Amino acid sequence: MSSQDNPRGAGTAAGSSTGTAARRADKHTRRIATAAILATLALMFSYVEAMIPLSVTMPGVKLGVANLVVLIALYKLDFRYAFAINLVRIVISGLLFSGVFGMVYSLAGGMLSLLVMWILKKTDLFSVVGVSMAGGVFHNIGQLLIASFLVSDLRMFLYLPVLMFSGLASGIIIGFICYFVLQKTPKPI
Amino acid sequence: MLKIIRKADIVLFVLLLLLGVGLAVPSFIKGTSAPENATVEITVAGELYGSYPLNKDAEINVSDKGHLNKVIIKDGQVQMIEASCHNQLCIKQGTIGMPNQQIICLPNRVVVRIVSDKGGDVDVISG
Repeated sequence: MSSQDNPRGAGTAAGSSTGTAARRADKHTRRIATAAILATLALMFSYVEAMIPLSVTMPGVKLGVANLVVLIALYKLDFRYAFAINLVRIVISGLLFSGVFGMVYSLAGGMLSLLVMWILKKTDLFSVVGVSMAGGVFHNIGQLLIASFLVSDLRMFLYLPVLMFSGLASGIIIGFICYFVLQKTPKPI
Repeated sequence: MLKIIRKADIVLFVLLLLLGVGLAVPSFIKGTSAPENATVEITVAGELYGSYPLNKDAEINVSDKGHLNKVIIKDGQVQMIEASCHNQLCIKQGTIGMPNQQIICLPNRVVVRIVSDKGGDVDVISG
């Protein structure tokens, strides 16, 4: 990529190693490395959380700490990285821990949740807390959708009120934590 | 703390809260039917597997498509005592005894639900 492709025209003629292209490649590499680390972190969080039995009363009640990492990725990197981190985390933790069934279930919730969070973030109307809160709720809605589909019965949504409140609460908590983490982390990676 | 939250957050919160409360209302209205007339309906993957009266003790083996779920009806209470699923959450759901309550084994796609005989037991129509 020579400097004539680059409207900013930075770098010397022979495509020096300090040119904008090189800086861009460097940034890209840094982002990929960060994303990989975040994916691992998300995996660890979901593992630790699985060891704390919070959902004995009702399947689906959980804090969703792994979503904290996805949220951070959404704000510090961008949607594609957050999506990849989410996918990697769910697939690997499904393969390692909960089995294919748990993985599909989580995938439904996790992806719907991320999609909703991304859309809300794009509107620029909500704070991190609001985005995370919606994410928590829609994570549960996604799971209920898959569950209803599996048993071919929409009455599964009778569980929604409880899961709604739990989703709201956990979303808000994670949102606040995320806010403080985002404050302390360095500027865009 | 208030500067972290924005107006849209609060609006969304109230909306979702109302949605949750709204969906919780039907569950409270139905609780008045007499449990003696109730039936235990077991569905597998959406299809009715069997209907059993709640007041008659029984032990039902649901063995459809290679999965096993054992349901016990005793003294007007229903419980899943054995299941071939991985997470065993259905067993941890304990006992149910009132109409509209359900025990669900998601991996095996089994739903055990108490249905009131009064006939008006329609809260959500699937489909």
